[in-house]
Amino acid sequence: MQGPLIDTLARQGVTRRTFFKYCATLASLMALPPSAGRAMAEAMAAAPAASRRPSVIWLPFQECTGCTESITRSHSPSIEGLIFDAISLDYQETLMAAAGHQAEEALHNAMKENEGKYLLIVDGSVPLGLDGAYSCIAGKTNLESLKEAAKGAAAIVAMGSCAAFGGIPKANPNPTGAVAVSDIIKDKPIINIPGCPPIPVVITGVLAHFLTFGSLPELDKLGRPKAFYGETIHDRCYRRPFYDQGKFAKTFDDEGARKGWCLFELGCKGPVTYNACATVKWNGGTSWPVESGHGCLGCSEPDFWDGGGFYRALSMPADPLKMAATAAAVGAAAGVAITFANRAKKSSAKAAHETVTLADLEK
Amino acid sequence: MSASLQKGINALKEVIDAPVASYFNSCVHCGLCAEACLFYLETGDVKYTPIHKLEPLRRVYEQEYTLLGRLGKMVGLSKAVTDDELEEWKELVYDSCTMCGRCSMVCPVGNDIVYMVRKLREGMAVSGHAPDGIKGATKRTVEIGGPMGLKWPAVANVIKKAEAATGVSINVDKPGVDYLVLLSSMEIVNYPEYLEALVKIFKKAGISFTLASDAFEATNAGIQIGASDIAKVIVSRIINSAEKLGVKYVLSPECGHAYMAIRWEGPNLIGRPYKFEVRHVLEVLEELRQKGVLKMKDKFKEPLILHDPCQIVRRGGVLEAPEPLIQTVAENYIPIVDKQKWNWCCGGGGGASAIHTEEAEALRAKAFRIKKRQIEESGVNTMVTFCANCRIVIEEGFDHYEMNTQLLGLTELLAEHLED
Repeated sequence: MQGPLIDTLARQGVTRRTFFKYCATLASLMALPPSAGRAMAEAMAAAPAASRRPSVIWLPFQECTGCTESITRSHSPSIEGLIFDAISLDYQETLMAAAGHQAEEALHNAMKENEGKYLLIVDGSVPLGLDGAYSCIAGKTNLESLKEAAKGAAAIVAMGSCAAFGGIPKANPNPTGAVAVSDIIKDKPIINIPGCPPIPVVITGVLAHFLTFGSLPELDKLGRPKAFYGETIHDRCYRRPFYDQGKFAKTFDDEGARKGWCLFELGCKGPVTYNACATVKWNGGTSWPVESGHGCLGCSEPDFWDGGGFYRALSMPADPLKMAATAAAVGAAAGVAITFANRAKKSSAKAAHETVTLADLEK
Repeated sequence: MSASLQKGINALKEVIDAPVASYFNSCVHCGLCAEACLFYLETGDVKYTPIHKLEPLRRVYEQEYTLLGRLGKMVGLSKAVTDDELEEWKELVYDSCTMCGRCSMVCPVGNDIVYMVRKLREGMAVSGHAPDGIKGATKRTVEIGGPMGLKWPAVANVIKKAEAATGVSINVDKPGVDYLVLLSSMEIVNYPEYLEALVKIFKKAGISFTLASDAFEATNAGIQIGASDIAKVIVSRIINSAEKLGVKYVLSPECGHAYMAIRWEGPNLIGRPYKFEVRHVLEVLEELRQKGVLKMKDKFKEPLILHDPCQIVRRGGVLEAPEPLIQTVAENYIPIVDKQKWNWCCGGGGGASAIHTEEAEALRAKAFRIKKRQIEESGVNTMVTFCANCRIVIEEGFDHYEMNTQLLGLTELLAEHLED
């Protein structure tokens, strides 16, 4: 198997064997049949020269660039970073050398030349407040840019929780009127890759699937690839046995925390969060939040920022004061009802009272 | 259920109020009230634990006014109060409770046990489970005028004697004077010298007073038996007479339960405040002493101790007057350990002294041992008190144990040593 990607990899000291291993791993991660790994490798290795590689346009909206950081710096120079050699990343503000009018030109050229074929990646949410004035690029609001770019896209990847679900910009009280990509674009296939940021291998895996099969992987009801978002953090967590034994860390520095017990009572959102952190891990498989001693924040779930506090255990009442107030009100109402019943009884006893005379003293 | 039991249960349902509900719910069953009760202390029998004496009332409260109690009654877990049970409780509610209120004082959660005993007696009386002795006293008070069956001529006789002894003419039914003086039957029969003493002191102090031919009896057997309707009839005699005569004050005699009846229960029985003020004789005497009117020509020399009657001191609130008064007239007053509001009852209060069954008298004699010990431990031969009922009961105790102790009334003692 020969091709430009293999050559590039070889130049950078990645052997062919390593590349195949990566493709096989990616395929198995995405629950594809073993043959898919080879197909993937062949498809990527055979990717033609830059001019003919599939065009990818990456639009940044209300975002923090964390998603870009995740896919680039964190894994550079690992193989996930290099996969971009298989594609033609024609517009990415942070990564591209061009700026200003040059950058705009590159964007419009790419959209024109690859109309109907390019893959549109969006990170960040789209503000609708003040007619979109909260975020503008080259004099255009994000809403206009998105609509324009989406028109000629083959598919859209909503990268990160902001693009997928609105993310932190949409957090209460949502001052900019932020919405997700899927709230605006209804006529194109959209794949959500949520996470704050998403796991790099999930991003590259989806791209590989797109390159290999020319289609998007199977998605769940929230538009997330099932291969990576099919199970909860909790179900695959290495601390799960402690949960099953009822061993919980009560504070971050107690004996339980030191022994690596379950972080459920410290607010871990693992049981309700679908993501691949527990299996894929971060920073090249070094560690992940729970392994470092902190509970899952649930960043790949919609509205995770408004979930009632990162350190509040899931099964705790969302608002104990409110519950107590309600209980008190119910108790008071019951008390009033009983009072009236008892008063009625007492007044009927009073009504039944006949003036006591000396004769009554005798039985 | 018999008609009388029905009436009794109905009466209990009627008297249960917020304090009763909170008392029963607050009780932690610590048993401290047992140690405060002279009947438990002298017999060691746990049935005399004060809160236990209220069991029928507690059950009615639970079964009628609480959810669990109602359910319990419905499924038969909680048995209804029966006539037999009330009959059994007669001894606990009357014979062995003088309503002295020492248990209420020690209760760590502040339950006023006596308050509840008073209420339980309402149900006991109307269901026919009051002792014959108190029934008779009540009957005589209503029909004749006093618990001992005395009529006005007996009082007139005492007045005549007092006039002869003091040389002062005593007003009868005179309107517009300061004080309407009341007597208890025991003072008329057993201690007529009380009126003499009072006349002497009032003459000295220049206080005008009268007796009333239609309201001379201060005691109220209706309260002791627990029949508020009857108690109201009895107390109304005094109120009507006092308001008709337009006196400023009604003077309660030394008798403890008379003071409690006219001073504390009366306004609640008639449902309005009086148009006059009720004062206990000791309150008036203490005021005179402070004004310097009570000057003594000499003092009582022998060492003596004081017996503070429950209904005047602990329950009545006349706390400060007795000691300065006794110190005015006695050279050798010895304070005892359990004095003032912690004093031990004579054993015959709350109507108990009117019960003359063999068992009740034996029980009273047993309970009197605590009084006997107080006297013996202080090593005196003289005890002074200021309640006619206490005096009778204590003298009975002296007879029973063949003691040579001398018992004196405080007012008479003061009058005897008053400067001429």
